[in-house]
This record gives sequence, C-alpha cells and structure tokens, in this order.
Amino acid sequence: MENGEVFTPLSEITGQKAKAKVDPPKQQAQRLPATKTDPNKAKKIGQVHFKAAHGIIVAFFTFILILHVLGIYLFTSGFLLTRLVLDHKSDCAVPPIDSANKYTAGNAEKGCWHPKTFKKAVVIIVDALRYDFTVPFGEQFETTDVSSIANDPAGAPPVAPRHFHDAIPILYETAKNRPNNAFLLPFIADPPTTTLQRLKGLTTGTLPTFIDAGSNFAGTAIDEDNLVAQLKNASKRIVHLGDDTWHALFPGYFEPNLTHAYDSFNVWDLHTVDNGVTEHIFPLLKAENTSKWDVIFGHYLGVDHAGHRYGPDHPAMTAKLNQMDGVFRRMIEEVDDETLLVVMGDHGMDAKGDHGGESDDEIQAALWMYSKKGLFGRTDSAYATPPVNAKVRPVGQIDLVPTLSLLLGMPIPFNNLGKPIEEAFVGAKGTGLENLAIVNRLAAAQIHRYQHEYAKARGLAESTRSTSLALWATANEAWSSLGKSKGNSVQMKNAYEAFAAYQRDTLSICRALWARFDIPRMLSGVAILASSLIVLALYARVLHGDRSEVTPVFFTRGAIGLVLGALFGFGVAFILPGEPKEHIVIVSSAISGVVGAASTFYSLSYRLMSPIPNNIWGWISVIFTLALSAGFAANSFTIWEDEILLHFLTTFGVLAVISSFRQKHVADRTLGIYHSILFTVLTRVASFSRLCREEQMPYCKSTYYASALSTTSAPWQLIIPAVAALLIPTFIKSYYEGTKSYQHNATLWIGIALRFGLMLSAAYWVLDAADDSDWYPGWENILRTTKRLVAQIVLAISLAFGYSIYNWSKPLLNIIINESTDEVGAPKEAITILGYANVYGSRYALLVTIWYLAVAVLQKPMGAGSIGVLVWQLFSLFEIIDTNNLRHSSIGPVVLGLLGSFHFFKTGHQATLASIQWESAFIPLAKIRYPWTPVIVILNTFGAQILCAVAVPALVLWKEKPQKKGLLGMLAKAVATHMLFYATINLATTMWAGHLRRHLMLYRVFMPRFMLGAFVLVVVDVVSIFVGLWGARMSILSVAEVFGFGG
Amino acid sequence: MATIINANATSKTPPSTAPPVEPLNNDAARLYTHIHPVLVLSLYAFSFSSLVADPASTLLNTLAPLAILQIAYVAVCLPPTGGTPTIRKQKPGEKRSRVPSKLENGLNGKIVPAFLSLLLTALAATPLLTAILVLFGAPVTTHHPHTLLCGAHVALLSTLPLVYVHGVNGETWRQVVALLLPIDEVYGGLIGTVVGAWLGAVPIPLDWDREWQKWPVTIVTGAYIGYAVGKLLGGTLLKGKKIMFD
Repeated sequence: MENGEVFTPLSEITGQKAKAKVDPPKQQAQRLPATKTDPNKAKKIGQVHFKAAHGIIVAFFTFILILHVLGIYLFTSGFLLTRLVLDHKSDCAVPPIDSANKYTAGNAEKGCWHPKTFKKAVVIIVDALRYDFTVPFGEQFETTDVSSIANDPAGAPPVAPRHFHDAIPILYETAKNRPNNAFLLPFIADPPTTTLQRLKGLTTGTLPTFIDAGSNFAGTAIDEDNLVAQLKNASKRIVHLGDDTWHALFPGYFEPNLTHAYDSFNVWDLHTVDNGVTEHIFPLLKAENTSKWDVIFGHYLGVDHAGHRYGPDHPAMTAKLNQMDGVFRRMIEEVDDETLLVVMGDHGMDAKGDHGGESDDEIQAALWMYSKKGLFGRTDSAYATPPVNAKVRPVGQIDLVPTLSLLLGMPIPFNNLGKPIEEAFVGAKGTGLENLAIVNRLAAAQIHRYQHEYAKARGLAESTRSTSLALWATANEAWSSLGKSKGNSVQMKNAYEAFAAYQRDTLSICRALWARFDIPRMLSGVAILASSLIVLALYARVLHGDRSEVTPVFFTRGAIGLVLGALFGFGVAFILPGEPKEHIVIVSSAISGVVGAASTFYSLSYRLMSPIPNNIWGWISVIFTLALSAGFAANSFTIWEDEILLHFLTTFGVLAVISSFRQKHVADRTLGIYHSILFTVLTRVASFSRLCREEQMPYCKSTYYASALSTTSAPWQLIIPAVAALLIPTFIKSYYEGTKSYQHNATLWIGIALRFGLMLSAAYWVLDAADDSDWYPGWENILRTTKRLVAQIVLAISLAFGYSIYNWSKPLLNIIINESTDEVGAPKEAITILGYANVYGSRYALLVTIWYLAVAVLQKPMGAGSIGVLVWQLFSLFEIIDTNNLRHSSIGPVVLGLLGSFHFFKTGHQATLASIQWESAFIPLAKIRYPWTPVIVILNTFGAQILCAVAVPALVLWKEKPQKKGLLGMLAKAVATHMLFYATINLATTMWAGHLRRHLMLYRVFMPRFMLGAFVLVVVDVVSIFVGLWGARMSILSVAEVFGFGG
Repeated sequence: MATIINANATSKTPPSTAPPVEPLNNDAARLYTHIHPVLVLSLYAFSFSSLVADPASTLLNTLAPLAILQIAYVAVCLPPTGGTPTIRKQKPGEKRSRVPSKLENGLNGKIVPAFLSLLLTALAATPLLTAILVLFGAPVTTHHPHTLLCGAHVALLSTLPLVYVHGVNGETWRQVVALLLPIDEVYGGLIGTVVGAWLGAVPIPLDWDREWQKWPVTIVTGAYIGYAVGKLLGGTLLKGKKIMFD
C-alpha cells in the first residue's frame, strides 16, 4: 500500500455513511439512485442476507465436519485393536487339568489348584520404575564402556552415571546377596505403556488392546476374570493405597477402612501420593495389624511424576528413588515371615521421562520379589546375579498373574496368557524342576481351556491354532511319559519346556489374533473420508464464482442425504440383524450425504473449472500437500516431518521473493520482498526449537528443554517469553500502523492488554522456576497458588476480556479533519479516514492476537517463543498474500497448514503419544477438571494449528476494500481450502496406517501419525468454523455497520 | 549495457527483457557447448567416491577444476556481457582483427570477463547461496566447510555463466531473480541447478543407511545433474519460453 492510500479522503468512500456529509452535491446526486431506499432499511436487509448466507456456510462446513468425524470414527473402530472379553471365571474347585501328585483341588486355604506358598502379600507398584534404575551403574557399564571407548575414542558415549543411577540399590543388593530371599528381573510391559492398560495386564494376565487406550482419562471397571476378583471371591481382605486408578478398575473390592486412594493425574505433585502410601502402609505391617488384611496393593507415583515433570536425569529423580530405597529397606525389616513382598514398575520411561509408546525404555520395568522364607532359587548358577540389562532373562508382565495366583493359592484367572516365573517355583536349591513342570502344566492347561472357549466364542477355525494344539499334545505326551518316577530328570525338564513352548506359541498367536483389524470398517471409514475429501476439493478449488450463492444448495442436499441415508441405514439394519447396526447406519448416512452434496456439482456443472491448477501457486500448493501425504508412507519421512516442513516453508518463502520481484509496483515489490525474506528467516529461527523423537537420534539435538533428558526449561529460556512479550505486540502494532489502523480498541488490546497478558505469562514461568528449584523454601504453596492465579488471569484477559473487545469493537478507523486554505485562500475542510485501507483485516486480525495470548500462556518458555514467531510470521504472510495479490489462491491456506504443522513441532511436540505435554493441564488448574483439562491440553498441543486456522480468514480480509463484493464466498473458499489441506493429510495418514498395519513401525510411527492427523483435522474443522468463520461474521457485521454491505 | 533499457518499474507494460542468450556462432562453440556438460558430469562422477568418503576436502579439490571448466565453457561458447553474438560476429570481420591481436582480443573480451564473473560468483553468489542452504535447513552449528563448499559449487554451476552473459545490471538481475528472463541454456542451467539441489534434499532423511546420504553429497549430486539437464533443456526444448507465475 502506498502512503497516499493510508489517508483516504472520505470522498472516495462509497456506500452509506452515518457520518457527516461532506461530499460535493454533484457526487451526492450521482449516488442517489443507489441510495434511494432508506439506508438503514437497506443495511438491515443486508444484515439479514449476510447472516443467513453466513449461517448456511457454517452449516455446510459443519456437515463436512460431521462427515470427517464419521469417517474417522469408523476407521478408528476397525483399526484400533479389539479383543473379545470372555466372561468366564476360573473356579477354585475346577482346575483346568487333573491335579498332579494327587493334590486335591478346591481348598482355598491350602491352595486352590496347587499348594500355596504364602498367606499374605504386599504388592507395591512403583510407577515407571525402569529396570536400569535398579541395577548399579558399575554393573551396567563396566564391561561395555571399555570396548566402546576403544572402538570410538572420539565419540565415547556419555557413560557418566546419571541422576537415576545407583539411587535405589536395595533391590539389586538383596537379590544378589540373598538369592533365596529375593530376585530381581526385567519386567517387560506390553504396549501401550499407560498405567491403566498396565494395571489391566498386571491383574488379568492378558494383553491389553488399543481400544482400551482411549479410556485412560476415565477408567472403567474390569469385568473379566482377574487376580483381584479372585482374591475377593476367596474372601481375602484387600487393601489398596495410592493411585486412584485402581478404584476405577476395581470399584468396591477394597477394605474401605484401610484403603486410601489419591488423585493420580496431578503429575506436578511428587509427594502427596507417596507420603500417603508410606504413612498408611507401615502401620499395617505391624504385628498387631497383620490380621486385618490379606493382600495390600500399594501404588507409588512419585517416580513417574518426577519423570514427567523433570525427566529421569534430574536431582528430583535421585531424591525420589532414594526415598523409595528407604521405604523398601524398612519394609524388608517389618514384613513378617508369611508375607510375600513384591515390588515392580508397571512400565518404564523414555529419555525425557514420558511413556505410552513401545520403545525399549518405556517397556522395560523391574520386578523384585522378597520373602523371609528363603524359597526362591535359580535354575542355573549363572543366574545368581540379576541381569545387567533388560535384554537378559526378561519376564513378561503377564507372567505376574499366574505366579502370584499360584503362590497365594488362587486359581489362575481365566484369560491369563502368562507363565509362572521360574525363580519363584524352582525352590531354594534350584532343583525343583518337578514343581516347575507342575505349575507350568497348570498354567498351560488354563491357557488351553481359555483358547478353546475363545475359539468357540469367536467362531475360529481349528486351523488357526493347529500349531499350538500340536505343541499342547507334545507337552502332554512329555508329561505322561514321566510315568511314576517323577525325579529331577532331563525328562522333567523337557516336560517343563514343552508346556512353556505351548504358552509361548499361544501368546504369539494371541498377539497376532488381537492385532487383527476389522477391514470392512476401515474401508468404510476410508471411503467416507475420501468421498468427503472429493466434495470438499471440488467445492474449494474447482467451483467457480461466489460460493455463498450456491452453498445453500450444497447444504440442503447434503443434509437431506444424510438424514435419508440414516433412515435407510436403520431400515437395512433392521432387515439384516446379523450385521453391526452402527456400521451400516453410519456408512449409509455418510455416503448418501456425500452423494447429496455432490449431486449439486452435477447441477452446477457449468460452474466447474478444470481441476488442473492454472498457475504456479496452485501447482505448488498441490505439490506440497501431495508430497507430504505421499511421504507419510515412509517411516523416515514421517519421522523427519519437521525438517520437511521447514524445507517446504522455505521453498514458499523463496517463491514469494521471486514473485515479489515480479511485481510491477515498486511499493508492492519492496514490501513483498521484505516480508518474504522476513517470513523465511523467521521460519529458520523457529526451527532452532526442537524436541527430537527417539527415532531422530543421533541426528537431532533437543533444545526445547534444559537437556535431552529433562522436561524442565533452562534458566536462560525464561527470558524467551519476556522477550516475546516485549517485542511481539510492538511488531503487531507496526503491521497496524502501516495502514494507520492502530486506533482505539487496537491500542487498548495490542498496546495494553496483550502486552500485559504476555508479561504475566512470562512471570508465570519465573514463578514456576522459583517453585521448582526451591528458591524460596517455605513459600512453595504461595508460589503455586500465585502462579496458577497468574495463568488464570491471562486466560481471562484473552478469552473473556479479549473476546468482549473483539465482539463490541467498532472498525479500527479514525477521522481527522484538516483545515487548510485552498489556492484562493478560502478555508477548506479535508476529511480523511485513517485505517480505511485495512478496515476488514485490522479488525479481524485482533482475533488472531486474542487466541495468540491464550495459546502462548499454555506453552513452555521455548514454545512461547515459537508461538510468538508464528504470530509474527502470520502478519508477514498476510502482507505477502496482499502484495502478491494471492487472496484467491490456494497457497495462503495451504501455507497456513504447513506453518501450523511446523510450529506444532516447534512447540515441543512430536507425532508420538509420549510427547503430549499432559502437565500443561496444571498450568492454570490445580487438579483435573472437566471439561477444562482436555481443552487446555488441546490448546497446548494444537496451539499452532489453532492459531493458523484462526488466521485463515485474515488472508482474505487483510487490506481488502470495504466495498468488495463476494467477501463471504472468498472466505468460504479459503476456509474450505485450509480444511482440505488437513483432510488430505488425514486421509493419507489413515490410508497408510491401514495399509501398513503389519509394518514393524506401525505403533511407533504410522499409528501415532494417523491419530495426530485425525485429531488435528477435527480440531482445525471446529476452530475454522466456530472461531474463524464466526469471528469473520462479527468483524464483517461491524464494518458493514459503517460502510454497508459491499455485495 | 546499451541494449537494456531500464524499464519504468511502475509502468503498466511489462519491462522489456533481454532476449535468450545464443551461443556463439562458430564450430568450436557449437561443439563445446555439448561437450561441456559431459565434462562437468565426468568431473562429478570421477570424484564421487572420494566425495562420499570425505565431502569437504573433495569439494574443495574439485572447486578449481569446476571453475576452469566453467570459464572454458563461457569463454568458448558464450557471448560476454554487453555484446550479442550477431553484433560480435559482424563487426570484427577484417577491420578489427588487424589492430588488437586475436589472442589479445580473446583475452580482453573473454578471459577477463570470465574471471570477473568468477570473482563475483565467489564473493556474492557463494555467500548468498550458502545462506539459502542454511535457510533450507543446512546445519548451522556444524559442517560449516561442507555447506560453504556446497554453496560454492552451486554458485559456480548456476551463477558464473549468468554473470558472464548478463553482467551486473540491476534490472537484469531483478529479472533473473524474478524468473522473468526467457529460458536459454545459461538460464536453464541456473534453474536446473537450483531445482536439482532442491530435489537433492529428498533422499537425506531416508533410513537406508547409505554413506552417500551424508551432507551435502545429495545436494551436490542434484545440482550437477540438474545443471546438465537444465542446460540441455534450456538450450533446446524450452528455449525462449518464459516462466509464468499466474
């Protein structure tokens, strides 16, 4: 914009004006025909028209949103694995196979299927106790580090002890020094490594499936057979202390007077749960209280929380592990002879202290058992010391269930797939092979019974389990060939191994079986997503002319199709009762909705253009989107998505420089080149904020936190939010001042409220650091309350105060009257309107800054910097789009999609479950509160995509003339294109995840990326419609209040 | 510079652009313009294994041979800045060849501009292209010689002939950057090199564990191949075409 246009003489402005009439009478006369009707009435009619047209567009996009949700739902329900839960329960009196040694089953006092070993048990779960925490550093690295240094003198691995090393030696010491009293083994979790899933696995002895993964926030009771239920059945008194997830899983199972549960999700609180468990567990171990209970389940959370909050390599972790060490030393002393003490981790943690996935560090937990009876043994003298790492002699977490069941004389739960742990049954001398064979025979027989029932219930053919049946037969042969002379012979060992082989084989069959996908559902989901994508693509890019005129037809036909399809689906489901109803109804309604909407294109075929892009920007948009989508088929490209996005964004920046150089007007050219270079450089600056995923190692260095092994920020990073608070509002202001749009409410919001809010959010992190590092001992509670209050104030400034300003703000205009004299000396009044050149854009962009504040306060310090850069880039992008006249092009919305995805990575996220910053929920809140907690986590996780989605209408509105016709149609086009970008990415990741469902990297790479793509699509749809389009409505209405409707 | 009119930037008619560069109209030029890309690619192929083994020193060692090849190419095949081949062909005839000797003429008219182009390429284009490589994600804290030498190779391939034929006129260079010039073998070489280097980034993230995936081998490879392809297409199929943005 040239300077002259900034001061727009009022005479240039057409339309109805409520302000002083300064037009020369001649012009007034010319315009008379247009304003013949009462201007107020015309305005009112215009308003009604606009609101109706806008409402229909919102409805149409909501229709698209519904299609997306239906498609994602169907695919997900077929893709996330499901397992049929059998209701059968094991019965104490009914062993799965005839008893060995003439043992009479059925007496829970002596032991149901097998003589019991212990009367009582104390089972302690130390959440996220990784195996290498428990093994002394010297044992783990003594041998390996010499050779690795010799091989690679320059790049010797960092073998110095970390904070998590040697902090809990008690488990290793006892297992090594008193092997008959204790043993320590690696304890491998089946992914997903979230606590709820792990507890299910640890009590039922079966494999969790992914359909459970979604229910982690609201646990549901376990209704299949499990150890806790068996104990309860046998009238054992069970006490639970600690993590309250147990109560969601086992409601009403525990002794109410002795049980104490604590909130499990406040990951910033390291001590409440642990201190509570310790406080209540030791009195119970006293001799006078031991008669009150039979089994105690204690669940410590401090280690896990220390990991989430600080990462494993932090003094807080050392302190926590030391505390645990002390607890177990005390327990060893206080526990009586009849009691079995079990300590275990339910999962591990990755290098940053998070978990959920299936990397080695996440699945390798520790298991330690102790008793004063001295009954434990090793099958081989070489096993005397505990394994140096988790690759050596690991046991599965499902093995705990048969082990504990038999040790406590309980029947093995019906669905169990694990095998009894050798060390617990082989006897102190390590010679009890007979016992080992017997318990394995029992476990295998129970598995056999379960497999039989499962095959029956699922209608599986015998052939699928023919190998395992053969193994079962072999094992039984080996057993019966033992005859009467059941000594410690090679035969005995063979029998034991044969039963173990059957268990192993069945387990692998079950893994494969439950990795079975519901292909028809997945295909239906993909079909819905693909067909809705085609409708959206045609609507966004192929349709010609004003979309607001034709959208009513699309919406009506789509909605009618949806309803008719649903009715038809109900009918079909009624006729065919065998098929799953919801699948039929969803498919028929969604497909018929798509067909309904698509039929409009047939009627409007004269308005369709060629789908082939007709300029370089169209091509580059298509190439960016399709290249990214195709790349998700390769795990490497998925892993390195952040770098690919950098490459694409820089490519756009370079093309924008080239295009700016082509501009005819020097002002456009200069401004365009400046902002293009700025945009590109800022992209690169933001790219320094990195949080590497495991697979990117060793080519990536995390900078998001203080170190790669931590989730706290370095002290210097606290400067970043403060710098952003100082600079970003100033920069935003400069974009407003270019068109003299920095007027009344903009000065109030950008100049004061936004800056103040950003300052507060910078202050939040200083308070947080003060609390974290104990700068002011004794003031923790005040610090904590204050910092939360600060965060709440910022959110209130943003979403309450900011939205109020936005809603009631007049267009950012100002009128100045210049009194001067003309050539003859007569006084002359010249009225100029400031801010006229960007009346729509300046008004709307306030919304971007409002959401900027809300998103920024929920980011870590480094993320606040990244989001600040993003906002700066957004304004540069508006200028690039304006100076290169690309309002109608697809490039703007597509670049916003790339930019949002890029800054997703730059705010410390990755396409992995472990990178979700759950702890951000506690920035403004002390505990979990619905619905706020999920909203906060979404704002933290998808903050960048949300901001970019809010910015889409600004691409169209920035520096657009108030008289512009068809603005609403342009908005619909831009928003549709933006949604189209994410819908394409979502379809691609969905299809790849479905196609590569047997790929080794499915759970590590493709499935998390699919989940991310689906989640982002829904979030972006919702934000585009209810924030973007709705905000544009407010903005346009308020501008029309002054200038009337252009169209 | 007489041929170029500095167009009024705000005028409505698009500013006139230089015509596509014609290689010199003699047998040596016509022959060598085809031999040159083969030589350049041979240089690349010859040094490939050592490039993979030790990128930085190989890139440094091949810099001089590449510069010589490029200088030879522009001196033999291309009209230096300020003159078009037709003018150059008509004027010398018999009149001029008497006064300055042929060698002297060649030296003044070709070798000096060629070396000036080399100087400009080294001082201006190399830092600029290196900066662009960094913007595209080249490592900032490590591999400095690698990135700089990669930038130098891209600059030698893409920019040296362009400086030789177009000189340093600001408006011409605006058009160069704006992709407004008609395509010829020199401009095609530039575009091919840049596009090739861009595509060269594609295999880097793949988990093939190949030695040649290391920085900046693939970029250099893309640049060399892109140069040869771009020069060929620019001189033949796409000659005289213009790049349209809208």
